This record gives sequence, C-alpha cells and structure tokens, in this order.
Amino acid sequence: MANQKPLQKKKRPPKKKFQMGKKAQEKKETPIKLIGQVTKIRQTDPATVIEWPRSITHIHTYGKLSPFFEGLRKGELLDTHCPNERCPENRLWIPPRAHCPDCHTEMVWKTLPNPVIGRIYTFTEVVYAGTGVELSTPYWQVDVEIPGLATIPKSYLLYGKPYIGMRVKAEFRTKNPTNTVLDYYWVPYEGSL
Amino acid sequence: MITFKEGNLRIPKWNRRVFVVAGGTTAYRKYFPEYKLEELVMLAFKNLLEDNDLKMDPLEVKGLINYAAYGEFADHFQDQLLCEAKVHDYLGLDPLYNMGIKTGGATGGSAVLNAAMAVASGYANVALAAGWERMDEVDTRTGNFYISTAACKDFETRLGRIYSSYYAPMANRFAWAFNVSEITRAKIAVKNHLYAYYSPYSQQPGKYTVEDVLNSPMSAYPLRFLECCAMSVGAAAVLICDEETAFKLTDRPCELFICGGTHTLRVADRRHMEVPLLPHETPDMYKDLYSKEGARYPGFESFLASRFAAWLVYRMAGIQNPLEDLDLVELHDAFTISDLQTYGDIGLRPYGQEQDYIESGDAYYINPNTGKPGKCPSNLSGGLIGTMHAVGATGIFQCAECLWQLQQKYDKFHGDPKIWKKWGKEKPADWQSLQIPEKSRQALWVSHAGVGSHVTVGILRKSW
Repeated sequence: MANQKPLQKKKRPPKKKFQMGKKAQEKKETPIKLIGQVTKIRQTDPATVIEWPRSITHIHTYGKLSPFFEGLRKGELLDTHCPNERCPENRLWIPPRAHCPDCHTEMVWKTLPNPVIGRIYTFTEVVYAGTGVELSTPYWQVDVEIPGLATIPKSYLLYGKPYIGMRVKAEFRTKNPTNTVLDYYWVPYEGSL
Repeated sequence: MITFKEGNLRIPKWNRRVFVVAGGTTAYRKYFPEYKLEELVMLAFKNLLEDNDLKMDPLEVKGLINYAAYGEFADHFQDQLLCEAKVHDYLGLDPLYNMGIKTGGATGGSAVLNAAMAVASGYANVALAAGWERMDEVDTRTGNFYISTAACKDFETRLGRIYSSYYAPMANRFAWAFNVSEITRAKIAVKNHLYAYYSPYSQQPGKYTVEDVLNSPMSAYPLRFLECCAMSVGAAAVLICDEETAFKLTDRPCELFICGGTHTLRVADRRHMEVPLLPHETPDMYKDLYSKEGARYPGFESFLASRFAAWLVYRMAGIQNPLEDLDLVELHDAFTISDLQTYGDIGLRPYGQEQDYIESGDAYYINPNTGKPGKCPSNLSGGLIGTMHAVGATGIFQCAECLWQLQQKYDKFHGDPKIWKKWGKEKPADWQSLQIPEKSRQALWVSHAGVGSHVTVGILRKSW
C-alpha cells in the first residue's frame, strides 16, 4: 500500500463532436448481408413448416466427482462414503456423491480393489435407442449389486447373456477412454470369490 | 430420506376447500403442423370456458381468473424459453401472474397442485391450470434422446438414451420378484389402446390382441412398442376455484385433494426402507416380502414417490380403502410396467400382488371375467399408451377426464360426432360409452415423472 500512488484526477480530453468513421460510413452505404443459411421449407400444407438445423457443444463439469472419472481412466472404480461416525449411512456410493445426503458431511474417496466382482440385479437389452447412442445396438444394459454399496449402479455387459444373480467382473476402457461413465463395463465372471 | 421426523409427515390441509369445475383439451397427435403451440392452448382454454355448461358467459368466467399455473416438461422440445409468457399473452390473461411448473412427467399434476395452493391460500379465487407439449419439432429418436436427459446425465443417460431402457430393468426385476407373466403387461396395453379407440382425442387407438402386443417391435427388452406411451403434441386445461365460486359456476363441482412425493432420479440410489403403510394396510402384509436376499423396498419394483403421495392424499381426503372408495383411476401408464407397479403403490392391491388388479378384471370398464362393471376401472381415457403423453398436459388432461366422468359427461366429451369431426376424425360406428355409473363419487389420478422422481396423486370428489 505504501508504494501506491496518490489518486490523481484524470484530465478529461475535450469533447469532440461525434463523427462517423470512414469504415462505418462505408458500412452504412453497404446493405446488411445475410450471413445465415436460407431456411428450408419442409411443407406448406396445412401450414408452413420450416427446418431450423443447429449444432451445439455443452461445456460440462464433473465437479467434485472428477476423481471417479479419473479413476476409470486408470482402470479403478472409486466410490465415496460418509466419514461421520454418527451418520446412520456408512456404506459406499457409486455413483459417488461429494456430500452425504443424510448428514451433509463431505464424503471421502476409496478405491475398490480389483477385481471388482458384482451380481446382476436386473438388466435390459436396449434395442431401439435415441439419437447419439454411443454403444452399438442391441446391447445389454445391466444394474449391478456390488458388495458394500448402498447403491446399484447402471452400466453395460460387454458380452454374454445376463440373468438376475449372474456374477460379473468390472473392466475398464483405459485405451481411448470416452471420459464418461462408459469407461467401465462388466464381463461374465466364473472365478472364485 | 429414509427415516422421517414428525414434521416431514404432516398431512397437507388446505386453508379453504378447493374445487375443479371445468376442463378443456385438444386432440393429441404425433405431428400437429396445423397449429402453433399457443394456438393449441387457446383451443383447450376455449373448450374449458365454452363447453363445460358453466353458468356464466365464457368471458365473464375468464374475468374471474386471477392466477395461472402452466405445465411444460421440456424447453428442449418447445425450443422456446418463457413459453408461459407467450401462451399467457395469447390467452389474453396479462398482467395476471402466472408461474411455469416443471416436474418432468408429473408436470401436469404439479401445475394442478400449484393452482390449488393458490386457491387454498387465498391468493386466487379462480386459478387456471394449463399444460402443453410440442414434441414434433424433432424426429422420434432425437425426441427420445431429449427425454433421456431426464435421467442422470453423468451416470445414466449415456447408457440408454431412451426412457424405455430405464423402465425395462424394472420390468425384468418385477417379473422375477413377483412371478409376473408378460401377458399381464400385454393385457394392460390391449385395454388402454382399446379405451383410446373411443376417444376423439387419442393418438394411438387400436383394437389389439395380447399376441399383437407381444409381437410388436422391441424397444428395450421386455418392453415392446405397443407397451410404450405416445410422443404427443397437444394441450389441456382445468379451472380451479374456491367453494363459493365453484357453485356459482356449476351445479356439479368436484372437490380436489392432491399431494406429491419425490424420490431419487437414479433408481441406483434407492436405499431400502420400511414400507409406509396406507390406511388399509398392516405391517404383517409385508413381513415376508422383503426378507429375500437382495430384496429392497422400493427397489426396482415400486415407486416410493407414488406411495408417499398416496400416503398423504388418502389421509388428506379421508380415503380408507382405495379399491372400495374410488370409482375410477387414471394412472400414468407411460409404460405397461409403470402402470402395473403403481397398483401396489396406491394400494389397489398389496405389494407383490399388483397383477391381480388386471387378472381379476377390477381394472376394466366391463370385467372380462364376469361381464359386469369392473370394480375400479383404470384409464378409461385411453391413458398415455392409447391417447396421449404431451407431457406438460398429461396430468391436467387426466384431471379433466376424471372430472367429466364424475359429472356424467363422458358421452358429451367423447361421443359427440362434431368433436370427432373437429379433430379430423370420424366417430367409429362401433363407438361405445365408457361412462362410469351415476352413483360414482370419487376418482383418482396419478401424474408421474422420471423413474418415479416426482409423483402427484390427486382425488376428485363429487360435491353435489
């Protein structure tokens, strides 16, 4: 603060009469150009219907859950749990949460040791999917019970035919990761626990 | 929340009684280029003001309104933020206040709840609840993607990109846990497509067989296309009043009770809890049902939000036993499985025995087993599978259908050939009335979002 210069009153330049610059003058003489595309008419009967194409990118943060997605890239499944000993819920969460919904304490991270073995709780075969689907249809979407978890996370079965109670092992897409939840999936597991 | 404290379980109580007096709707279509959205809402509003035998001139009725609650599911679909402002201006209701309500598939029910709150609190004597959806600006697959953004975008949307794939795992678990044949689900589809056949507003009417349903293309196993709701364009409205105004406007008002419940957006995050018991249930009923390894309540089989809304509204309205006390239900049959699951949630059957509501014939207009009227028929409007799911309108449309049934106006609003003509259709030669009997007193409707994230349960009671 000691080095700060005392505030000086700025001298205002004398007021100039506004004059349109040369470029602006030229622009005024040139009509405004349409830089968009001509809108396509789709139909005129029973009413005029136009098309309005667009392409957008959303910028989306994983926020405090970023470690989960970093874990997937390393081939690890991370969960969170509430460290508050007085909280009634001390089980693990996948999808993880940054805060405990019961006592609002900040959760802590834990890595599930590989191999992560779970059981299929339920499943479906996705045959008809919406625009932008990233897995080739048909594919098996599975909800997997993992020991110690309060939750039953949704994922997909890479191959095989699922049934309720089927044992499965988590695997990871560490090469060319999508940086999304699609970076882990399940495969049939027949080994010993 | 799994454990409750006293305040959480307070039974809602209006500060003054609330009534529904009139309803309005458009027809519903997959593609509706004839009208802009606000024009469709105007048609539903005019239907409400002009065709409900109100005892005042339509513009005089409009002159009583001083609040509006508007339901719209998704800005994605309308591609217009503040649609409420455009619609409100178009209806000529400025500068009266309006609020936009957005609770997914339960938007319509929530708009009715919001309008009822305005009347009950004294903010308004007469409130309009109107809702709409325009789902035809994008192709069907893009529409399905938009809807799937009502699943968790980080952990679920990418795994399905279609909402049937979030219900289908429930269908598989439900069938496994409670030993339910897919024929039961198919019967629900047959019933609701058939009832839609008698409605001039319906988008997906049809006389199908169980085999037709099971042979229709698969969306997500085990849900076939004929088991899935319509993707619609259309609008609906109801008029909600205090008691004095209600009787000024009509000799046939219905008293309104409505409550809501919520649960996680991700089914994954549902933790086991004790079943909140409805007035006619006892703890013994469920002592063995959830003792099986891996069994959870509500798990993938049931909806806590629906159960909680019913738990509240039955106490609010004094319903002792839904099957005995209700004369009609309009359920949110977005998929056959969600319809089936809801029978347990609202106590038409105990959990685990939901299928019996269909198999017994209780759910039908005419019980196919006895040839006599069903005990508590369901979705005589044709529901979401047969008639419409213009999402923001749906819970309002269901309310209007319940009102017209209790007012003995099913034929007036469904049987008049002029209405069929108005919507470019011809009344079928084999049209039949689905009017519930004159002695009917109470109807219930369920408005349901997500995989059970928001649910309202409303009850209309005949008050004359």
